[in-house]
Amino acid sequence: MSSLPSQAEARLAPRAAPRAFQRALQPWMRAIVGVGGVLVFLVVWQIVGSQDLIRSDLISYPTEVLRSLYAMVASGELWANLSVTLQEFVLGFFPAIVLGVALGLAFALSRRLLYLFDPLFAALYTAPMIAFVPVLVVWFGVGLVSKAVMVFLSAFIPIVINTRTGVEEVPEAPIRALKAFGASRWQIIAKGLLPGALPAIMAGLRLAVGRSIVSLVAAEMYVSVRGIGRLVQVYSTSDRAAEIFVLVLVISSLGFLGVVLIRRIEAYVAPWSAAR
Amino acid sequence: MSQLALDRLHLAYENQATGASFLALSEVSFKVERGEFVTIVGPSGCGKSTLLMLIAALLKPTSGALSLNDRPISQPGSDRALVFQDFALLPWRTVLANVELGLELKGVPKDKRREAARRYVQMVGLRAFENSFPHQLSGGMRQRVGIARALSVEPEVLLMDEPFGALDAQIRQVMASELLRIWERDRKTILFVTHDIDEAVYLADRIIVMSASPGRIVKEIKVDFPRPRELAIRNTPEFTLYRKQIWDLLEEQIRNSGSWEQGDVEPAVAS
Repeated sequence: MSSLPSQAEARLAPRAAPRAFQRALQPWMRAIVGVGGVLVFLVVWQIVGSQDLIRSDLISYPTEVLRSLYAMVASGELWANLSVTLQEFVLGFFPAIVLGVALGLAFALSRRLLYLFDPLFAALYTAPMIAFVPVLVVWFGVGLVSKAVMVFLSAFIPIVINTRTGVEEVPEAPIRALKAFGASRWQIIAKGLLPGALPAIMAGLRLAVGRSIVSLVAAEMYVSVRGIGRLVQVYSTSDRAAEIFVLVLVISSLGFLGVVLIRRIEAYVAPWSAAR
Repeated sequence: MSQLALDRLHLAYENQATGASFLALSEVSFKVERGEFVTIVGPSGCGKSTLLMLIAALLKPTSGALSLNDRPISQPGSDRALVFQDFALLPWRTVLANVELGLELKGVPKDKRREAARRYVQMVGLRAFENSFPHQLSGGMRQRVGIARALSVEPEVLLMDEPFGALDAQIRQVMASELLRIWERDRKTILFVTHDIDEAVYLADRIIVMSASPGRIVKEIKVDFPRPRELAIRNTPEFTLYRKQIWDLLEEQIRNSGSWEQGDVEPAVAS
């Protein structure tokens, strides 16, 4: 997984001049340094935790976390909860993609619609979605549906905003060519605006994955029957640091995998932007 | 019978803020014969590019009439194809897919248009690059794609809007001779806008010289060099005479109009 800047960032930032006093590292060197940093951290944590330099029931240590991970997988506890979280995520995320792209496109095409909804979206973008959990629970119950709606809300807004900006920033020249060769309004959208906005839409999806996983877990912690967030809540009331670290590991892996997956899809559907 | 006829075209723009009216084109009339290569030269802001937009029907004239094969021109169509100064390729499409665009919009089935696109990509010498994206190509290569895209719809008239204006001087000359080589095959009617006098003389059967603000036709000049033409004709005394004749006309126009003081006033293409 490379951590190159995204396309938007790369376009905005002036290309950095190579600095004489700080030579750029080869990619493999960079990987080694990165892994090295993690290793040092793990070793220090192991020593501090296992030697009880800090109370180990509070901070635990790597080998104990691994043992807990094994136990939670073996008992089926992890999967039983993870599968629920994944279902909630999928049920909320895919509708958010479809409706988010559609509304973002509509915003880019219609000034009137934009003026009507823009303030609302600006407010919602900064609002912590978790504040809606009590209402969602009243409306949709404590189960799967209220969490899926939570995912939908958190993912929807960045997708709308990125799609809108992406469509608006499609350069004029290709659209002019489409018109000159007789494209209809729909053809201009399908063959011009949407493919042109695709890199921005994919960046929106990456943003949405992060945001929606955070709100999903938080919502599960607040009230739920099953799910990763539910487990976090249970183990935190029973002072089990090792299990909580296992869950943190699982949650961040989820987000990481989501982002990697989207980058893969992006390289496939928009190779012209990934390569640039 | 002429293939393309422009009859007393006027085009006026209203300035939205001031309400003042700006006359971009005035009394523009000319005819183009089938298979003729006509170049249009004029100072910046003389509306020569605007003229192509009118023929492509991307703009509507304030008054006057345009016709192609005696039928009035009312909307964009594949009987006319544009080549743009900035190439206007679709950056998300490969060379082949870019060339396919015109046929795709006409509803030609996938394998047929792919086959046609391959033929034209080959014709402009980009066979090896058919799966490259525009950003991987040089400017000259990008415009070859633009030309292949325009030719692929088999238009009756090719409208070229300063197609080599964004290229450096050497590439420009090579592209011009390449264009003639391609044109010699089927002698499609070409209307070619440029502000490069040498290019205008080298390419044309006939040159239309325009003035600025408002854009009017100052003179039509027949070019009598035999074809096929070598790049070396640029060094002949006859060529020098053409060059001087056009330059004198343009210089007079530029001084009279004062457009060199006001700067460019070429209007944007209507959306």
